[in-house]
Amino acid sequence: MIKAIIKKELIQLRRDPRLVALIIIMPIVLLTLFAVALKLEPQNVRMAFVDEDQSFFSNMIKTGLWSDGYFDLYEVNDRTQIIEEIRAGRAKAGLFINKDFSALITENSQPHIRFFVDGTMPSLTTAMKYHSNSATDDGVTGNMYFSDADAENVVIAQEPFIMDTEILFNPDEKETWFFLPGVIGVLIMQIALILTGITVVREREKRTLEQLLVTPMSRTSFIIGKLMPYVIIALLDFYFILIVGWLFFDLPQPSSHGLLFLLALVYVAVMIALGLLISLISKTQQQAMFIAIFIIVPSILLSGFIFPLEAIPDSIRPVSYAIPFTYFVDIIRGLLIKHTHFIDLSASYLALLGFVVVFVGLSIIKFRKTL
Amino acid sequence: MINAHHLSKRFKKLLAVNDVSLSIGKGQIFGLLGPNAAGKTTVIRLLCGIIEADEGDVLINDLNTADAKPIFGYVAQYFGQYEGLTVWENLEFYAQMYGIDDHERLNYLLQRYNLSQFKDLLAGTLSGGYKRRLALACALAHDPLVLFLDEPTAGIDPVTRKLLWDDFYQLSAEGKTLFVTTHYMEEAQRCHQLAFISSGSIVANGTPDEITQALGGNRVYTTMLPYQPKVQEALLNIKGMILVNQFGSELRMVVKPNVDKNHLEHIIFAITENNCKLEETKANLEDAFIVLTQDSSSPEFETTT
Repeated sequence: MIKAIIKKELIQLRRDPRLVALIIIMPIVLLTLFAVALKLEPQNVRMAFVDEDQSFFSNMIKTGLWSDGYFDLYEVNDRTQIIEEIRAGRAKAGLFINKDFSALITENSQPHIRFFVDGTMPSLTTAMKYHSNSATDDGVTGNMYFSDADAENVVIAQEPFIMDTEILFNPDEKETWFFLPGVIGVLIMQIALILTGITVVREREKRTLEQLLVTPMSRTSFIIGKLMPYVIIALLDFYFILIVGWLFFDLPQPSSHGLLFLLALVYVAVMIALGLLISLISKTQQQAMFIAIFIIVPSILLSGFIFPLEAIPDSIRPVSYAIPFTYFVDIIRGLLIKHTHFIDLSASYLALLGFVVVFVGLSIIKFRKTL
Repeated sequence: MINAHHLSKRFKKLLAVNDVSLSIGKGQIFGLLGPNAAGKTTVIRLLCGIIEADEGDVLINDLNTADAKPIFGYVAQYFGQYEGLTVWENLEFYAQMYGIDDHERLNYLLQRYNLSQFKDLLAGTLSGGYKRRLALACALAHDPLVLFLDEPTAGIDPVTRKLLWDDFYQLSAEGKTLFVTTHYMEEAQRCHQLAFISSGSIVANGTPDEITQALGGNRVYTTMLPYQPKVQEALLNIKGMILVNQFGSELRMVVKPNVDKNHLEHIIFAITENNCKLEETKANLEDAFIVLTQDSSSPEFETTT
């Protein structure tokens, strides 16, 4: 009996070539993608610097940071601008060297320099702290010792300068602040893709679609009618998750409730529209589920939510930018933790809006009024 | 009311509908009769605009299908209403899809199809017969001029079937045009106009009487003789034999005019040693149906349509 059931299941599976393709292709594509893309070592992390000293010594530090390829340095005007650059997301790290740096070095007075790190990205924050060592290794500091003829010999020379690291926006490096904002997006993605992913394909499987197709409804009214209820449900879910986060998990308040609502609205619309598109592409509910998972898994891993975007090789980076969740992560961290200005988030908002237009447009094209 | 010109539809290699033209007048009950997989459902879907024809066009009340949607209703072969909605919710939904909010009409439809008592039941819990009534009520919610019914009584008990047909006549009397697909002979008899479809092509078209005359000069003989495999085999081997059909203890044959009645009797006698008398009779619809839907490339097949 069991044998007969197994045989029947295998026959049914074989008769669904798209599902078989998904089962075979999905792991291969994802494995290849993740094998190439998932790295913990960031490259070319944008670092804003102010070098008031402009000396041989300060150049040594900058060269040390730049030469390993971890940091991509660019100059800004003053110390506050470093923080604003990081807040805006244009830089992930910053370096400030005071104007008396070389004077103090030559006096062996151990000057301080300041290293700023964006504290909103879990693995990137840690990696940046680690790689800042390249500013203080022997290659850099070797030439910074000045002997005083009168001084006593010491066994261990003190560091010629001290680098103070300042974790911006999340000074205590709270894990909930790292992850919770993105988790909201993951949950909404799951709810929206799976709720809407089966909505049309279920009508097709249950044969209710055929009966619907003879009515005078337009494509647009079908799509909007299908989208609206799920948009509202997902929006309610979005705020429900936020409220639980605020009440129980120390989630910070946003810089602007209006912008947060705008994000909720646009992101939910993207996900619901994508779900609808999945539903229109799929022939069975099973296929829809698989495609949804096919989208959710790389979204989580390639969006900068867990692994830093800066660690993803340039060849794969376009995939990250083709993932709506990438922009969500950028905006929600900006709103909840960094308090980024709207103007600096506008590109990400526009990207999400673009996804809505593309997905709704494709859905309307795909939804032929004929079976 | 319904005019289809040279409709063709191909699914990959299969030519499902081949150059089908139909003209159906107002108030008619038109039956499309054909064996399974002959293309009945494809034709009805083409007429309703659910699928697009590769060639040909359809006019319903002089409108193309897309514009005609508000004036026709469609009942699919399979239950296409929402099982998770109640009877009333289904009815209300389909009415609203046509912009109708006339509760009086919907209640009238519930009564007409004996559904009032099930108004608040989930559609999925209804029996097959009542599901069919609900589908019909939903298709009539917007009071269409034309109703397309794809095998409306398949799998329905004879009593309900009769009730449904009484209703079809009433709808026809109300001036509605009905397009019905079926493979039930008795249903075909009830239609005002009929077309036989076989392998995607219309092989005969007319009133039931006209169709039975489609056998032309071919003759139909009958006799009371219980089923005997050897008799069947021997008869089928006769040159000019078109159809051998057993109805209980009645044996019917359709033969070409040149086949001699005595010769047939002789063959039967040789096997059964019974002196049976063959009587010539009029072809019925089933004779015509089977003959006309047999492989039309068969050398034995000739019609005068």
